[in-house]
Amino acid sequence: MGRYLARRLAGAAIVLFLVSLMTFAMIWLVPGDPASAFLDASATPEQVARLRTALGLDKSLPLQMLDWYGRVLRGDLGQSILLNRSVAAALMERLPVTLSLAGFALVFAVFFGVAAGTVAAVNHNRWPDQVVMTAALFGLSTPDFWLGLVLVLVFAVELGWLPSGGFVALMDNPLGWLRSITLPALTLGLVQVGFIARMARASMLEALSQDFVRTARAKGLSRFTVVVRHSLPNALIPILTVIGIVAGALLGGAVIIEQVFSVPGVGRLIIGAIAARDFPVMQGGLLFLAVLYLFVNLVVDILYAVVDPRVRLV
Amino acid sequence: MITRRHFGSVAAGAIAAAQAGDAFAQAPRKGGDAILAIAQAPPSLDAHITSAQASRNVTLHMYETLFARDENATPVPELAEGVNISADGRTYTFPIRKNVKFHNGKELDAKDVAASIDRYRKVGASPALVSAIDKIDASGASELTIRLKQPQSTFLDNISSPRAPIAIYPASEAAKEAGKIEYIGTGPYKFVEYKPDSHVKITRYDGYAFNPKGKQERDGFAGKKEAFIDTVTFRFMPEMGARVSAMEAGEIHHNETVDGPTAKRLASDKRFTIYKVLPFAVQAIKFNQAKAPGSDVNFRLAVQAALDMEEIMGISYADIYQLDASWLYPGHAFYSKAGAEKYNKADLKLGKELLAKSGYKGEKLTFITDAFRPNVDVATVFQQRLKDIGVNVEVAVNDWPTVSKVGFTPTGWDFWTHGIGIEPYEGPGSVMAIWVNGLSQGGAKDPKIDDLAQKFAAEPDEAKRRALFAEFQQYMYDAAVCMKAGNFGQFQVATAKLKNFTPYRIPRMWGAWLEA
Repeated sequence: MGRYLARRLAGAAIVLFLVSLMTFAMIWLVPGDPASAFLDASATPEQVARLRTALGLDKSLPLQMLDWYGRVLRGDLGQSILLNRSVAAALMERLPVTLSLAGFALVFAVFFGVAAGTVAAVNHNRWPDQVVMTAALFGLSTPDFWLGLVLVLVFAVELGWLPSGGFVALMDNPLGWLRSITLPALTLGLVQVGFIARMARASMLEALSQDFVRTARAKGLSRFTVVVRHSLPNALIPILTVIGIVAGALLGGAVIIEQVFSVPGVGRLIIGAIAARDFPVMQGGLLFLAVLYLFVNLVVDILYAVVDPRVRLV
Repeated sequence: MITRRHFGSVAAGAIAAAQAGDAFAQAPRKGGDAILAIAQAPPSLDAHITSAQASRNVTLHMYETLFARDENATPVPELAEGVNISADGRTYTFPIRKNVKFHNGKELDAKDVAASIDRYRKVGASPALVSAIDKIDASGASELTIRLKQPQSTFLDNISSPRAPIAIYPASEAAKEAGKIEYIGTGPYKFVEYKPDSHVKITRYDGYAFNPKGKQERDGFAGKKEAFIDTVTFRFMPEMGARVSAMEAGEIHHNETVDGPTAKRLASDKRFTIYKVLPFAVQAIKFNQAKAPGSDVNFRLAVQAALDMEEIMGISYADIYQLDASWLYPGHAFYSKAGAEKYNKADLKLGKELLAKSGYKGEKLTFITDAFRPNVDVATVFQQRLKDIGVNVEVAVNDWPTVSKVGFTPTGWDFWTHGIGIEPYEGPGSVMAIWVNGLSQGGAKDPKIDDLAQKFAAEPDEAKRRALFAEFQQYMYDAAVCMKAGNFGQFQVATAKLKNFTPYRIPRMWGAWLEA
């Protein structure tokens, strides 16, 4: 297990380095700089120069890069140009929002995805299977921002049950938090329900065709016990890997959904930073998302190895 | 409102009662939390350091300036009682109003004003506004003296500009660096909280003292700013669809901007009132004069002659545009029709003739625009129209920071379109400043414009200044410096519960109230 973990960690470190390199390069390939985005057109060249020096934009690219890596290794992501606070503080402020959004969506997607996939597999080639698979295909091919607007029209505008946007912190008002997070999380999660349902169905079908299932049936166990106690745990192993991918997709999707629902999360912070060319936030934010993504995948890999010991030998 | 149905069916006594009832319904009511949806988050609530509209929306409720603009954009005293200008036009003495208290309870004095203006000179986002100042002195507890390096006829215009307002802070705050202040002003609302990417909340300041010598009613950014609403929450909602849904779900009271079709749809819903804010900005199409063919006056005149501004504005801003040649808004004291004979000619024949005289040889030209839909429409209509006279244009769409970075350099573009809103509101000095030093022509200086702007700033006589501005505007057309396509507006939507609201350059939450 130790070697397996070391291999995974080394892989993650390489990916992280490549991501940070690409982030840095991409940002410097984009035209437009914060000095011109922040100052009025009537600003004097001296004022622009002062701002550029303050931001370190007057240094050569390799120097800026060395500077940045030096600081990142010390855990310092720099100072936001627009927000008047450190990038790390800004990210930490928004992290609970994004995590609660993606976490809620993940629980929702896994629960309903696995349930729907199981129902489809148990009723293989019968009408519940067809209904679930058609719905899954519909879910998979629906853009989440469109789905978001439809849900808002139904649940906020027409029925008035839930707010159309905004965010209430869990600590401020738990019920308000639940109300504010439900629509964006459902929007994010619904698309993934389809994905997980398809995977769960395939995996479940395979499990149901195994010898031990036949034996369990022959012993006269109830259908429910055969499906839930014997087949499902085995079917869940491949689904676990899918959850890693889904968690990543949810983090990425949250960037768009936060914009649609005016949710003040990490995604919205990064989009705002891109629009204003707030480089430290762009760099720090993208690196942070990459770390988060890698962490989730690492956890899934470890869990996978715990559940299925054969994986450690690969 | 007495309708025909009232007359037909109800007796005269009942009509009187209905009138009384209506008057009662119109009586101001204190209370409520007004929630306003704004498209962007304010980059800062330190009014000095940003000229962003989103910041202005909030900060002009919290801070006041020495002079402010009235309903017609004329400078009028706000925290000053008035002004005395020396005979040489270089010394301005401002008596400062007494009994004005900051939100922290401190009484305003001349030192606060001096420190605030001094800070603006160091960190202000629009340094041109204060560039003429030589010295600032608190010459008494309630008297401020400003000495200029040279006479500047636009000085009161400048210090009253709402662009990046020269807000008056307590001297203790004015001593702080850009972006590091506590948000303390003298305005009718005081700061409560700023949740990044979510909202700003402000609350009524009951210690607010309005200018007794000013207009005793809402008057531009000046006048009596009587706040009835308890708290105002500005929610940052970048997506128009989300703003409209929130409005329909009853979650917000005012929506900063919606498009024409949405405004039409909501107009039939009794829950909402549609406000047409027209003019809000001028649609400009700039030439890069730092390189060929934009440097060739015949080429520029050819383009100017060929364009059909009605077509451009009608497609880009359906239902909310004005065709108008002036670079100032109608109603401004310096409004002029000079050059109008060359505006909106839509003359393809003349365009071709002028093009033949130019050095243009059919090369591909780049029209840059940001992704704001009407700007892209302007570029597309322009491209099609110029094809008819033989000019080959490609449209390059990018985000605003990219486009503005390119557009203020001499290469990478030939044409550039966007709105110019605050300068025509501010007045002739600001409009001329856009073209001084070749700022908006790709850096190609125009000696005629620079000379006119200098003369204008130094000229104390209003009639002569008016003539100078007319000469400037005539030259804008004679040399086709930049094309004005027209004025465009903004559809704002408010809930019918928001009473006595009148749109202006920001959604003013004074004078208005919320019905229970």
